[in-house]
Amino acid sequence: MRLQAALFIAACLSPAAAIYHDEVNHIDFHHALLGAPSPDSTFFLKPSSSSNASLLYTISEKSIIGAVNPRDGSLIWRQDISRPGSSTSGAGILRGLDGNNAVVGATGGSISSWSAQDGKLIWENHFADGEVVDIELLGLEDASTTPASRDTIALTSGEGVGVVRRLDGDSGKVKWEYKDNSGDIAFQVSSSPTEVFYISLQSAMLKGYRLKVTSLDPITGRQSRHVVLNSENDITSHESIIFVGANTASPLIVWADKSLKSLKVNVIGTKQINTIAIDNTSGQEVQQITVHAPHKLNSLAHFLIHYKTETGAWAEVFHVDLKSSVVTKAYQLPYLQGQSVVAANNIDANVYFTRVTDSEAIVVSSASHGILGRWNADVSSTDRAIHAVADVVTKGKSVAVRSAILRESGDWSLIRNGQTEWTRPEALIYTVAAAWVEEEDQEDLVHELEVEGHESLIGAYIHRVKRHLRDLQHLPDWLKELPKRIVTSILTDEVSNLDSFGVAKSIIVATEKGRVYALDTGRQGTIKWSTQAETTSNWDIKAILTTPGSAEISIGDGSSVRVNSSTGEIISRSAPTNVKLQSIATFEQQVGSSVVRIGSLGIQEDGSPVAPFDDISGFLVTTSNDGRVLGWAEKDNKSPVWEFVPPAGQKVIKAVGRPSHDPVASIGKVLGDRSVLYKYLNPNLVLVTAVNEQDHTAGFYLLDGVSGKVLYSVSRAGVDPTQPIASAISENWFAYSFFGDAVGESSAKGYQLVVSELYESPIVNDRGPLDSAGNYSSLHSVHGDSLPLPHVVSQSFVIAEPISHMAVTQTRQGITTRQLLCVLPSSNAIVGIPRPVLDPRRPVDRDPTSAEAEEGLFRYAPFLDFDGKWYLTHSRDVAGIKTVLSRPTLLESTSLIFAFGGDIYGTRATPSQAFDILGKSFSKLQLVLTVVALAAGVTFLAPMARKKQVNMLWKAT
Amino acid sequence: MPFLLALLWLCQLAIASLTISIPPSSLLPNPHVLPATTRATLTTLPAAGAGDRDPNHILTTSLTRGSTLVFRDLPAGHPESYLLDIRAGEYIFAPYRVDIAADGSVLGVWETFRGNPWDNRGAEKYVVDVAGKKSADVVIEAKVLGRRGFYEERATFSPLSLVKNPMILMAIVALALTLGMPKLMENTIPRFPLTGATTNAMTGGGFDLAGWMAGTAPSPMASAEGARDGATGRETAPGSARKRG
Repeated sequence: MRLQAALFIAACLSPAAAIYHDEVNHIDFHHALLGAPSPDSTFFLKPSSSSNASLLYTISEKSIIGAVNPRDGSLIWRQDISRPGSSTSGAGILRGLDGNNAVVGATGGSISSWSAQDGKLIWENHFADGEVVDIELLGLEDASTTPASRDTIALTSGEGVGVVRRLDGDSGKVKWEYKDNSGDIAFQVSSSPTEVFYISLQSAMLKGYRLKVTSLDPITGRQSRHVVLNSENDITSHESIIFVGANTASPLIVWADKSLKSLKVNVIGTKQINTIAIDNTSGQEVQQITVHAPHKLNSLAHFLIHYKTETGAWAEVFHVDLKSSVVTKAYQLPYLQGQSVVAANNIDANVYFTRVTDSEAIVVSSASHGILGRWNADVSSTDRAIHAVADVVTKGKSVAVRSAILRESGDWSLIRNGQTEWTRPEALIYTVAAAWVEEEDQEDLVHELEVEGHESLIGAYIHRVKRHLRDLQHLPDWLKELPKRIVTSILTDEVSNLDSFGVAKSIIVATEKGRVYALDTGRQGTIKWSTQAETTSNWDIKAILTTPGSAEISIGDGSSVRVNSSTGEIISRSAPTNVKLQSIATFEQQVGSSVVRIGSLGIQEDGSPVAPFDDISGFLVTTSNDGRVLGWAEKDNKSPVWEFVPPAGQKVIKAVGRPSHDPVASIGKVLGDRSVLYKYLNPNLVLVTAVNEQDHTAGFYLLDGVSGKVLYSVSRAGVDPTQPIASAISENWFAYSFFGDAVGESSAKGYQLVVSELYESPIVNDRGPLDSAGNYSSLHSVHGDSLPLPHVVSQSFVIAEPISHMAVTQTRQGITTRQLLCVLPSSNAIVGIPRPVLDPRRPVDRDPTSAEAEEGLFRYAPFLDFDGKWYLTHSRDVAGIKTVLSRPTLLESTSLIFAFGGDIYGTRATPSQAFDILGKSFSKLQLVLTVVALAAGVTFLAPMARKKQVNMLWKAT
Repeated sequence: MPFLLALLWLCQLAIASLTISIPPSSLLPNPHVLPATTRATLTTLPAAGAGDRDPNHILTTSLTRGSTLVFRDLPAGHPESYLLDIRAGEYIFAPYRVDIAADGSVLGVWETFRGNPWDNRGAEKYVVDVAGKKSADVVIEAKVLGRRGFYEERATFSPLSLVKNPMILMAIVALALTLGMPKLMENTIPRFPLTGATTNAMTGGGFDLAGWMAGTAPSPMASAEGARDGATGRETAPGSARKRG
């Protein structure tokens, strides 16, 4: 009870300003991402048999299953089914069936079934005997199944053993299993209304593979017959097989011969192989062949083959005769230049094909070549379409179609009747680095002001008058805008426009897929531009350094790309050097309230700088790949000035320094009795984290970056080194968190957050050895021993969940209280813990004295429950965040927050409430009404008062 | 024979599971409103050295359709004491302590308190029946402790708040005084013709606002002057009011 009371007080005292309901989507934005959808596992599906609306389901390359609302592209639910630690070769497989209320996904050796409507788990099963290579939902109904839950056929493959299992649709329990010990490569499963087919690749005598189709009884799983197809001349690996059709009335296997001159089509279960000659009139080599067939049992046995060349594409539609298993060509969709994607879907038995090209989108029926619907496409982007899924609806004779198209850039967009409805920038999930854009125009003003600062009084005055006269040319425009601004500001419910106060910043992000984006944090994180800077899947970005007008992206091989930060144009590239870089160090200097970068330098993997940094006065602290911390001085890049080696068995995992913009508003802390505790403010502090993986200890070392002297160290036992250990340092305090196990009788088990404050001396009004010194040196001192040690006060809190990353809010002057920004990976949130709550001087086991209460201290409670108001992400599900950036704005109260790594999230933090902004609660209407009421009162009273005065004059005489 | 025994043991392992059901409670009347991202986690740190044998010491499971959280295949090998956390968006659940035996069966489940010694167990949720047979599937109920409020409440606009505005209040008071007071004075003063003594008492007691406004009392400056005169002990001591009276 007492604990709760303490928490309640904590909640009352905390100056945190939570977000208002009406500010959601205004001050914050969120890109909830899945990653690039996997082409074979993307489909439209009706989540329940009762409703007619369908959702778009996919499993992404990141093994995230997601359901997207096709109307606006919002994410309805998602589940990450990737297992940490298990390496999976592919993205995973997702299957769904109309009329079934579940989607079934598989990755690695596990299969899970999720409720299609709300994404809750139905069952999951894990197989130790190999990876799941294919799953299929059984479309057929028998006595043992209910129509709402279809059974799953799963094929696992591992060490030459393929196992086909039938899993119950409600519980995931294995109904039967069929084991293939013949050593064939398990390839796929397919089903027809009466049989389950297991397709494997049997290695032929000399080379290539023969296709072996084994028919299984769907009820018992017993083998009924098997067919071997002589395909060894064509098939060299399983990539040679273009298509294995599933769940159609006549499932197909399609493969091509090596020279891509003809296609072989087999109706699964028969021995007959139909050969189709590829009728290539384009004169170009066929690059890609895809087969599109309906996935429903009762649909017509029609399919489409799409041929893609370097510059164009055409398609052919075929019909399968069910009796004779003969494949005949029905008609052809003409060869068209440019990009082209095709999607198949069916309504009852009718099959429709949708083709989206550069210029148009068309819908044809599989039965005849007549075009049912044609729309001009509104965009013909250079961004090539890779894959599409379509949803056709018919109303009488007219059709409507919406198709979700995946583009090469990773954009996933929905085109409804030729109109782009929404675009999801799925490639942003691969973001590895981000940096705020420096604007040019603002830089001009700063420069002008600097000039004024350096001139004589009269000179500066003349300069200023001239500048203001020059500014007058904007006056007519401003006057023209004025009435509109006044009207809109009163009429709309909009918070006053703060863009000119630096809250609408652009940010440049770069993904490991070689793409660079600029996002506008002032406009809900919309993409201003994007460009493919490199064609790679593993771009080793070390840093993005922004200068006014441009941004330089530095790569691990020493090369760099410079892009224009307002257009995305690539300005220049530099060639790679032969040194492999570990990171990029930047030298930054605080000038006034802004930070100026004076240089940057590559750091090699062994921790040494690539070059001496003669022209920069500063020092460097680096970590080496063998677990040491090194300090470097200007002229020498060969041998470090100092070296920090943790105790034997420990390995340095992290080193953090104070942020480059870390202004200190007050050098002391004023206590309740008006005495002062002086803060230990050393700009060169480095907090090093080292762990011992064997005996589960962690050491935290506070170093002086110039001398390498250990100022403070603490060792913790029972620390889980596999769980995230986050740390941050700012001003005169640092914090770290870890999972601590119960090591002794009385110790607790759980996640811990430790906060420590540094003071110059434990005695109030006393600066300890520094006394009245204005300056001090890390190296030399009159006191013999160089640097005085800080007085450290610490407090640990037990918290409910792990923290994977820490950052500190930054404001312009540092007057606003800071928040410790913590990424909570297990509840997909970012929390900003106010510093007053994390004050290590909170009284333990007693209530605060009146002096302490005046200071804002309240009783210590070992458990720190995160208040809902601290959640910067409020009720959003912000997943996969790896890094949080903070940036001051021109408003002291406000700090910009940007988080990336999985989702993209941006918001504004106001740790001491928005004291310099008129928020939405400031009612302009109320102000106007008050003025009007007063005016009315005055006009009403004025004649009365006049009358009275006149009367008085008469009465007086 | 040992092989068969091992197989039997393995079979027993495979079915040991822990199910956490979420019953409706006053804080959470309908458990189906829990988000799909609801997760339960069993966390521990194997004793130093043992961690290499069993790296899988963090188990996570997702919420099912039936508002339960099921841990299948609890890890066997050596006894462990796990911390069970349930994280579900705005709902806060009580943490539990789950003890698991070396064969992967559940020994006991207790409520635990964060920031308290691990041995300090709370209410018992399940404990293995020592005499009887071990039950393979353990079902416990989760307990909702509270709900987080993420949003700040904004005061809504109401005409009453307009009235509460100090400017408006001042205006209303001023209006009331200017309109109401003269009427009040007109009604009261003639009815009680004041004697010289009473008026003197009134003015002497302080500033007579009503009188001044009705034009019957001297201005405060005048009366203050009178008071000062009195203090200096001049012969004109009687107040001006008496003279007038």
